Amino acid sequence: MSTLDKYRKVFKECFQYDGDVDALEYQSIEEWDSVAHMQLMAELEDEFKVEMDIDDIIDFSSFKEGIKILSKYDVEIA
Amino acid sequence: MELDIPEILKIQRNRHPLLFIDKIIDIIPGKSATAIKTYSYNEWFFPPHFEDDPNVPGFIQLESLVQTFIMTFLSIDGNEGNKTNFLKINNAVFKRKIVPGDVTTIYAELESFKRGLAKGKARSEVNGEQACSAEFLVSLPAILDTFKPK
Repeated sequence: MSTLDKYRKVFKECFQYDGDVDALEYQSIEEWDSVAHMQLMAELEDEFKVEMDIDDIIDFSSFKEGIKILSKYDVEIA
Repeated sequence: MELDIPEILKIQRNRHPLLFIDKIIDIIPGKSATAIKTYSYNEWFFPPHFEDDPNVPGFIQLESLVQTFIMTFLSIDGNEGNKTNFLKINNAVFKRKIVPGDVTTIYAELESFKRGLAKGKARSEVNGEQACSAEFLVSLPAILDTFKPK
């Protein structure tokens, strides 16, 4: 499974969402609220074995922005 | 370390008639807590639940578990007295009726506490027999809110 597939899977499982996750932004769907955001961050950290800084948690505002943020931790989503 | 009622009240905000732990008999902040709750027939819920068969309602059994659970992270320095929100409960199992005169021992474990989200589990026993168990997700909004995306 590619890192992109793993990344998508975390979003789908975390939000129990079957739609297109690539276009998701924070609060663009009911399921991505502040609590689910923290669960998403925890699941991504487990999946990619990283620990994100507080500023990155706050800036993680969309699926696409998350790919940029993870690249700072040497996680290439492709 | 043991905590009596005045010390429990400093750490968590539940109050009579909705406080369902009497004493903490062991606590390791950030890790685990063990509580005691004794049910006397004087409890407000026994006469209506039920007149001919008094027993502790399931929601109160769960509340006693979660109140023990929140002690595991509210006892961490700086968290005392904060509000908590109950977010999720999984795999609740009730195995034994709890009746007037029963003394429950409640064991809670904190599995993770990160950015204001606490995950863990708790179980209760009466005389060594399992009574109730469940897994919990609880938030501490004062911390969680500082991590919200803008």
